Amino acid sequence: MIFLHKLLNFYYREYKLNLSGFQDILTNITFFFISIFIFIFSIGPEKETYSFLGVGILWTLLLLSSTLSLRKFYQDDFENGNLTLLHLNGFSFELIAILKTFSHFIFVQIPFLLSIPLASILLNVGNEKLYRLTISFLLGALILSSLGSISSSMNLLNKRNYLLGSVIVMIFSIPIIIFSVGIININENFNSLVGILSGILLITFAVNPWASGACLKIAIQNN
Amino acid sequence: MLLAQNLTLCRLERIIFENISISLSSGKIIILKGKNGSGKTTFLKTILNLLEPTSGTIYWKGKLLSRNLYDYYNNLTYIADKTSSIKQLSVYENIKIWKKIFSSHMNYEKIEEILSILNLKVFLGARVSTLSLGEIKKLELLRLMIENKKIWILDEPFTNLDMETINLIGQTFEDHCKNEGCVIFSSHQDPLIPVSDEVNL
Repeated sequence: MIFLHKLLNFYYREYKLNLSGFQDILTNITFFFISIFIFIFSIGPEKETYSFLGVGILWTLLLLSSTLSLRKFYQDDFENGNLTLLHLNGFSFELIAILKTFSHFIFVQIPFLLSIPLASILLNVGNEKLYRLTISFLLGALILSSLGSISSSMNLLNKRNYLLGSVIVMIFSIPIIIFSVGIININENFNSLVGILSGILLITFAVNPWASGACLKIAIQNN
Repeated sequence: MLLAQNLTLCRLERIIFENISISLSSGKIIILKGKNGSGKTTFLKTILNLLEPTSGTIYWKGKLLSRNLYDYYNNLTYIADKTSSIKQLSVYENIKIWKKIFSSHMNYEKIEEILSILNLKVFLGARVSTLSLGEIKKLELLRLMIENKKIWILDEPFTNLDMETINLIGQTFEDHCKNEGCVIFSSHQDPLIPVSDEVNL
């Protein structure tokens, strides 16, 4: 019961933090839609083209937009000493990593999920694909948040090159893109592709707490 | 309660501090003195178990600290040299977050009373980013009251504070010690408040 209370209080803090930084979330969404418009202007208005390319464009932009927010993942809490405070208040580094990952999913990825129907209309992604797109995004976004946690915690150890984290996320995102777009475009093997994506999700869930937790610990020791 | 014996810490083949021992028990105020870069913050981080000493042992209530960490962390408040308040939120919102995160039972009337003494009550609705460095430091020190733990560990608590507030904090330390609490803090200058022990780094 005490643990559950602690979790709720942690998310209350995250909610307040994200609400005060709402303009960042809005900027990400704006970036996402402006990029869609740029694609539309550069490719042209032919609907048929988008029925082939739409899902790929959507997933690429979702990936790029969500990496925009990665710098904020741990950086602010690390710089103002709140990570240390949370640790001294009974939150292990591994638990902080797990909670922050879900916080990123809720406050950064869910707004993207809500904007998918509008983006689908703009890119002529049919209604029949919308359900599959939502499933693939739900799984893919959780994987991206886990990868984001690892890369952002690694960034705390490397203050000279912030872009390195984003590059790491992008490299590891290639299989996610392949399977996520596959889920939507390939009519057969839907269940097996979802299974593969779920497998990748479980692997990142298993690795994330230990990898991120170790990086957070070293970063606090070196600070 | 807290016993550190012959602590030595080396980093990158450099000795940060050597053979430092402290014994912190109820009613004691210990000051860590030393010049800038003498290792005061590093020593505090070591007794917080954030850094592992190269040699020496730390005990909490008679047990090795690493084996009694949960109880130790449940009994301490750490005020770092940096401010932990969230700058884009108001003073009130920060207090509300602290109250929740530290599961504090202190009521808002009592908090407002302390804020009045610290001349911070008028800033309750103001964003922390609009406060002066001294006011932010005073807000940070409010956490000692909100958390209400036995051991207070403070890193340079008097930076940016005026003499009146330093005396007030000194008085608070004494009151805390009378209630079976204890305090260890670092300072590179003499804060002119009564202490029970002095450790030079």
